[in-house]
Parts: sequence; structure tokens; C-alpha cells
Amino acid sequence: MAQSKPVITLVCERAADLNSLLDSKGNLAEMPDVHVVKFPCSGMIQPLMIEAALKAGAGGVIVCGCQIGDCYYREGNKMIRDRLLGERPPGLKKATDRRRIMALWLSRMQKQRFIAESKEFIYRVQALDIQEGISAGNKASANPAPTVAAKPAVTAPTAAPVVDSSSTSTPTAATTSAPAAAKPTIRPPTTATTPATEKSSSTPEAESDKTSST
Amino acid sequence: MTSSVQNESNDNWLKQGYNHFIDIANKITLAIEDGINIAVTSKYNPLYYHGALPQFYLWVLFLSGLLLFAYYVPTIDNAYLSNRLINAWTSVQYITNSIPFGGVIRGIHRYAGDAMVLFIFLHAIRVWFTDRYRQYRWIQWVSGVVLLLMVLFIGQTGYYLVWDERSLLLTRMTVSALEALPIIGAPLKAWFLNGDTITNLTLSNFLFIHIGLSFALLFVLWLHYVRMTRPVITPPPAVNFVLVGILLLAVFLVPITSGKMADLNSQPNTYEVDWFFLFNYWLMSHMSLAVFWVSMTAAAVIATILPWLVKNVSPPVIPAEVVISKCTGCSLCYRDCPYQAIEMVPAPAGSRFKLLATVNIPRCSSCGICVGACAFDAIDLPQLPDANVLSEIKTFAEAK
Ligand code: HEM
Ligand code: SF4
Ligand code: SF4
Repeated sequence: MAQSKPVITLVCERAADLNSLLDSKGNLAEMPDVHVVKFPCSGMIQPLMIEAALKAGAGGVIVCGCQIGDCYYREGNKMIRDRLLGERPPGLKKATDRRRIMALWLSRMQKQRFIAESKEFIYRVQALDIQEGISAGNKASANPAPTVAAKPAVTAPTAAPVVDSSSTSTPTAATTSAPAAAKPTIRPPTTATTPATEKSSSTPEAESDKTSST
Repeated sequence: MTSSVQNESNDNWLKQGYNHFIDIANKITLAIEDGINIAVTSKYNPLYYHGALPQFYLWVLFLSGLLLFAYYVPTIDNAYLSNRLINAWTSVQYITNSIPFGGVIRGIHRYAGDAMVLFIFLHAIRVWFTDRYRQYRWIQWVSGVVLLLMVLFIGQTGYYLVWDERSLLLTRMTVSALEALPIIGAPLKAWFLNGDTITNLTLSNFLFIHIGLSFALLFVLWLHYVRMTRPVITPPPAVNFVLVGILLLAVFLVPITSGKMADLNSQPNTYEVDWFFLFNYWLMSHMSLAVFWVSMTAAAVIATILPWLVKNVSPPVIPAEVVISKCTGCSLCYRDCPYQAIEMVPAPAGSRFKLLATVNIPRCSSCGICVGACAFDAIDLPQLPDANVLSEIKTFAEAK
């Protein structure tokens, strides 16, 4: 994975225990393109941080909290899950490419699971890069895409942010029915750096009546 | 739990031993939970509803208790009123044998009580082993200990109410235990028996204690929940069905029966121990009353002050801080804070906004959920400012 883009992992320090997997710079020793930022709770992760990572050129962002139901601070992982799904403000901007975000809910002991899922995710993200590179750059070339198309097939089902997986591989109901994910994600791949709706910089869709006094 | 092996060298062996024990206990707890997750997925893992389980059984107890109450007669005898003996024991027999499903309701009430105690212990052990009981959670812990003691005592009074030979023996054992107490012993005994000896008034007192304390539980539960936002008090329906199913299985497989009617002139001396509620009577009959009271009191006191006995296992809590100039008063952090640590107060004069978030320091867990909730960068954990996180992310993403 030499040419791959960096991937940022935002992880709760009580979830999958990655300490033994890190090098001195806080990257995964096995995959130095993956940088790990630890939080006291996954509930502290701001959607803004994910957007910033993608905007700065990260290929993808992995969010990792504890098993849903087992947040040490009671609700943190549910909060960030709901924010990613657009069910709780503040959420992700519409233009954010959800396919480049994966959320995992893993208990302290599930670091192997973390590695396996991350590898798969990186592979998907790389496929996206290739796909986008081609659709953006080869207008002139006579080559149609088929050669590459064989691989990216993997990406198709992951249009929604992958906010699934408890320790069993079945996505939870909340995942598959992610209502908010439906609108923005099906759009053709936009790059993460699309300027999009920058001005309204993430005003939560909540009651803004309190700010109306201006 | 973060590794609790960060002890300074001057730690004594007791503390190290304790930390070691909790470390192992925590790992075992996690391993069990992982196993259950594999079997039934995290959504239905009963250990993730550890607080909701006793609460669920409490509702079952209230409901079945209400039905029993309709027919229960809290007296020893009515010899002065009629020839047909109507008393607590016969009314329980009547409920069990003559009222349709009376025996089932009685069984449900008994076994739901047992299950509640079982799940309270499970709940308490889980919050203990996973280090969820100290610091900003002390109110939950202390009110929890009170809840446990109350539930145990309520259960015991339930056993007196049946008024069979076991009830009589337990009542007498309680009286002699109370008599052994200096100074407060005599008044406690008079309160317990509602007089000097066992009379009809004694049973009405037992009934009053049983029901009155049950309602008092609701008040203590309010204390238990008051600092938690959205406490999880209902398990998912599927779990409820299983819980009721197990209960009914026990009810039909092991129906409840009473012993012989209590006779004040007899001296019953053996009884069947219900290990959920009556273990302290077992202890009582295996040690001197002085040892019994001292050890019971010590156990209760140690359980209560446990959150303060254990220190320095994890880093101190550094509360979140609001950046007053940035806060828009949107209340998102207030809604999402899991420990009710954020209060919205009127914004200072001259502000463009109506409200301002403030952190109630003793309640704050330093979890950072408010940081995740704030879209205005207006609340921060001093030890991990989100600006630092953002620049770390950007640096790495851009360097490649
Ligand atoms: C009638 C018995 C009890 C009931 C119904 C009950 C119920 C609950 C519930 C529903 C929660 C909220 C869980 C959540 O939403 O995160 C909770 C939390 C808690 N309970 Fe209990 N509880 C009982 C007894 C006890 C006992 C005996 C203890 C310990 C001695 C205890 C200690 C705690 C603690 C420390 C918490 C806070 C956990 C956290 O913040 O994550 N409880 N309880
Ligand atoms: S979420 Fe941020 S802006 Fe809104 S009230 Fe809290 S601190 Fe203020
Ligand atoms: S860090 Fe924020 S969300 Fe967490 S308890 Fe403190 S005030 Fe509440």
C-alpha cells in the first residue's frame, strides 16, 4: 500500500486496546499510514474532526468506540454513532463522503478485529481513490474503466458510513436503516475536498432560535 | 479501564493487591461480556442492562404485590370476631389455592424478589469491577448500597408476612438480635413488634414496613438516577420476555408453598434458608450476636465508603471548561452530558446570546462528550483541547 493516502483513527482509549500496536509516533506499526488519536471517550469525537481529516487529505477516518451498551461514560459511543448517522446534532456536512468513514464498536480485547476491519477499510478507500482518479483524470484516454472496475465492486455496498458491527458481523438495525445516510451518500463520488457548503460551517440543525436575537 | 498499574513505589501491599484483584476482575468481566456479545449481540446483552434488570423486576413486584395485597389479611388471628379462622396464614393459603392464578401471582412475587436481589448484586459487582462507582458517581454508589439494604429488609419482612413457622422463627430471631443491641435495642424491638410481644399489631406493622419501604425505594431510586441523564431503566422487549419466561418457568416448576401455620406456643427451630434474602439469619445462627452485628455493620460501612477508600487508581478528573466568549448557549452540551454536569445559566449582560453553559465541577466526569456535542468549539477538556487534536489530525493528513 505504498501510494495510499493517510488514514486517521479516532479511538476511545477504553475501546479496542491499540497501545501494543502503536509505534513511537502513534501510528500503527503494521500500517504506518494509519495514525491513531486517543480520546477519553468516543463521545468526544466531533464530526468536525472527521471533516477536517478528510479535508486535509486523509483517505479515510476510522472511529472506534466501545461496544454499544458498554460506554464507560454511559452514552458516549451512542452519541457519536447518532451524530454520524445524522440523528443527533451536530452531524456531518452533507458533502462529506460517508464512504470514507467507518465506525467500529469494539471492546478492549478486540484489537485483532480492529486490525482486520481496518485493513478491509483501507482497501475499500484505496479502491475509491483509484475510481475517483480515473473518473477525474482519464477523459481523454480511450481506455474505459473496466480493468479497475473489477476491484471497486467492493465499495458499492458501503455507501452509508459503516456504523455497524458489534462483535458479530451482522450490522445492527440502526446501521442499515440509517435514514440520514440515504440522501448524501448515494451521490456520485465527490472528493473529500469539495468546497461545498463551507460558509454555514456546521451550524447544528438544532433550535437556533436562541441565537436569533442578533 | 485504563491500566491500573501506574502505582507509585510507596504503595502498600494492600493497595497493590486490591488493584491487582480489580484488574483481573475487570478482565474477566470483559471476557464474559464479549462471550455474551458473540452469542446474542450487544443489543441484547443483559449485562449492558445491568441497572435496568432490577428495575424491571421492581415493577413486576409492585404489580404482583398489589394483587396479593387485595386478599392478604395482616393478623395472627381473629378469634374474637368469628369462629372461622381468618389470619395471615389462611389468607395466603386462600390466595394460593382458591383464587384463580393466585398461586402463580404469589410465585411471581416470590421469585421476582429473588431475581431482583440476584440482579442487584450483578449490577453492583459490575459497576465495581469496571470502576464505575467512584468520584462523580458516588451518589449512585451510596444510594445503591442503601437500596440494597432496603431491598434485603423488604424481602425479609415479606417472609414474616406469610406467618408460617418460618415466619415465627425469623421474627423471634430478629427480636433477640435487636435485644442484643445496647441502648437502641429496646426501642427497636418495640418498633419492630409494634408492642412488647407478637400480636395482631405486629403483622400490620410488618405489612406497613413491607409496603412502605417498597414505596420509599422509589425515592431512593430517584436519588440513584438524579445525576444520570437518560438512565437506562428498561431492557429491550426481547430481554423482558426472556426474563418473564424464566420467572414463569420457576413459578411452575417449583411452586411456592407455606410451611405449617405459626403457633405462638410452639418453638420451631429449623427452617429453609432463602439464600437471596435470609442469608443473614443463617449467619446469625452460626456466630454470636455481637460478632454478627459488628461484622454486618462493618460490611455495610465498608461498602458505603468504598469509593473513598480506593484512590489513585485512575488519573484525577479534570473538569471540562467553557470558553465563555464562544458559547452560543445552544444547549447541545447540556442535553448530551451523561452526568447532568452542565447547567445553562443566563448569559452575562451584553452577550449576544441568552444562555451560557457552565460546568458543575463535582459532577463532571471529564468524558469530553460535551466537546463532541459543541459545534462552536466552546467547551474543552483542559488536558486534551480539541484544537490540539485538530492540528494533530491535520499534520498527519497533510504530511503524506
Ligand atoms: C434497586 C436496586 C437498583 C436499581 C433498580 C438500580 C438501577 C440502576 C440504573 C438503571 C442505573 C443506570 C445505568 C445507566 O443508565 O448507565 C444505575 C447506575 C448505577 N448503579 Fe444502580 N441500581 C440498583 C442498586 C444499586 C446498588 C446496590 C449499587 C451498588 C452498591 C448500585 C450502583 C450503581 C452505580 C455506581 C451506578 C452508576 C453507573 C454509571 O454511572 O455508569 N446500584 N443503577
Ligand atoms: S454546545 Fe457549545 S455553544 Fe452550545 S451551549 Fe454548550 S458550550 Fe455553549
Ligand atoms: S466532560 Fe462534559 S459531558 Fe462529560 S461529564 Fe463533564 S461536562 Fe458532562
